[in-house]
Amino acid sequence: MFGAEFPSPVLLASGTCGYGREYADLIPLDEIGGLVTKAVSLEPRPGNPPHRVAETPGGMINAIGLENPGLHGFIADKLPWLREHLRRAQVFVNVVGHSAEDFAAVVSGLDGEDGFLGYEINVSCPNVKGGTMFGTDERALADLVARLRGCTERPLVIKLTPNVPDVGDFARICEEAGADGLSAINTFPGMVVDIARREPLIGNRSGGVSGPAILPMGVYATWRARQTCGLPIMGIGGIRNADDALQYILAGACLVQVGTASFVDPGAAVAVHEGLSEYLEANGGARLGDLVGALRSWRGTGPAIPAGR
Amino acid sequence: MSRQAASVNRQAAPASRQAAPASRQAAPASRQAAPASRQAAPASRPAVPVRRRAAPASRRAALLSTRLVARDTWWQEFDCPDIAATALPGQFVMLGVGLDAPGSWLLPRPFSVGWTGPGGEVGILLRAYGQGTRALAKLETGQTALLLGPLGRPFDTEGAAVVSVAGGVGLAPFIFLAAREAAAGRRVRLIYGERDAGAVFDPALIARLTDHEPELFTEDGSAGRKGLVTAGLDPASNALLLGCGPTPLLRALAAFAREHGRRLQVSVEEHMGCGIGTCQGCVVRAADGRWVKSCIEGSVFPAEELDWGAI
Repeated sequence: MFGAEFPSPVLLASGTCGYGREYADLIPLDEIGGLVTKAVSLEPRPGNPPHRVAETPGGMINAIGLENPGLHGFIADKLPWLREHLRRAQVFVNVVGHSAEDFAAVVSGLDGEDGFLGYEINVSCPNVKGGTMFGTDERALADLVARLRGCTERPLVIKLTPNVPDVGDFARICEEAGADGLSAINTFPGMVVDIARREPLIGNRSGGVSGPAILPMGVYATWRARQTCGLPIMGIGGIRNADDALQYILAGACLVQVGTASFVDPGAAVAVHEGLSEYLEANGGARLGDLVGALRSWRGTGPAIPAGR
Repeated sequence: MSRQAASVNRQAAPASRQAAPASRQAAPASRQAAPASRQAAPASRPAVPVRRRAAPASRRAALLSTRLVARDTWWQEFDCPDIAATALPGQFVMLGVGLDAPGSWLLPRPFSVGWTGPGGEVGILLRAYGQGTRALAKLETGQTALLLGPLGRPFDTEGAAVVSVAGGVGLAPFIFLAAREAAAGRRVRLIYGERDAGAVFDPALIARLTDHEPELFTEDGSAGRKGLVTAGLDPASNALLLGCGPTPLLRALAAFAREHGRRLQVSVEEHMGCGIGTCQGCVVRAADGRWVKSCIEGSVFPAEELDWGAI
């Protein structure tokens, strides 16, 4: 997958694992598949005013505002730790930009560095002005992916937004423009109203909704992407356990990312991997690869797939 | 952090309660050794010693006891020797029910460590404000929860004379502090305010934990002295002030400290996602204009580090 070995098919999702170091005391990072860093932009970004996070029914809303130390801060302060401490876990750097030039500058600026496998291009952040601009405009997305393809030979994964009529169309565009993979899906735009104050609860007014509430939408987005293109897909959105991960895998994901669930239990990604291994063992030593996209197309046809644990 | 505050090692808390280090009762010698880590504060910020903190642990821990101590307020003790052994006053834990709780989804909430017991107990003071805290309040003895901690920057009392000022469940870290200091033969003055008598945490239980009762204020005068806790402050004293409670209380303390040239450390509260610095959700505005994460850069801040106009 992406020309690399993944110790596990379960990665930590961008924005929920910092730059890896924060989890080092809590989970054996080299036993998970890897992690996707907090977004890195060309210039440092201060982020949004509080409140930045709140719990919502079946999940949470966040509007962090892509706070990050910028390209040079990342290279100086964050990347060395990843390079020195991770031996097996694979690292994707999540990249964000205001313009195609910004994205290209970050990718070009990072490409000569060691310590990571590839990029996850964030064209889908709902919490900054223009954050989904590239992810919701077919032409802009095609141009961006093609441009970044020219900047790197590393794996180039595009993190899609669900905020489009059909994710499948955007998945196909990414493939045609030269991407190596997809992450499906980013958060859904949402809002919480503080009724006592009669004002938005979140400082940014709106935010991105994640957690179990979006699991079926993420699975659907993965399925749509799988139907329209042949790229490997990282399934993401609301995964708490192996059963959730298997939904994504059967719908077409070959890797999964655990995000919000890590806040509830930092060991969630480890537990999802354990659960997947148990499932495979319980199913006669099946290979995970055999299950990818192995969704029966019609109820009652195709091979029966034993229920998860 | 008046709080109320998820976790990992899935194995049950080890049966090492007897092995819980005896050093817990005494104020650990490491507190004097703190200066080694002073350089941790960036030069652009006021030099405040950041004590060397233990790495957090994530544990599924059994609820040993739960007791309704005031209106909508519970004192809960968990069996969590790892965290009990390393927590310092002002630090917190993220407490949640975990991912496999039937039919529920609940982000963990931050809670100040309110006490640590010789048997590895971790006590917290929980006030049910909303859906999440109400769910935690319903935990029954023997059930387990996920604890992640100890987290955050503790109070730095440097052996100074201390006056601690608590509003509501902001009392919790000061019970812990007073108990630790009492074990070392020192007394911490504790001023405690609530809205009314019904909200007051049983003073006798506080006295049992800390060796003395707090100076109590209620807004309506139904218990203790009538008025706000700030009425209990002595402008002539030069003791180190510590504050934990609602933001208006912290603001009033900051104003008092500024006016009288007093040192003040406050524990702030902001919505928190992870407790370990990854989500960057819990920021407050620093005096130098930066957003600082209350989970790892706080939750205790020297008052002068914060922008009080933005808090």
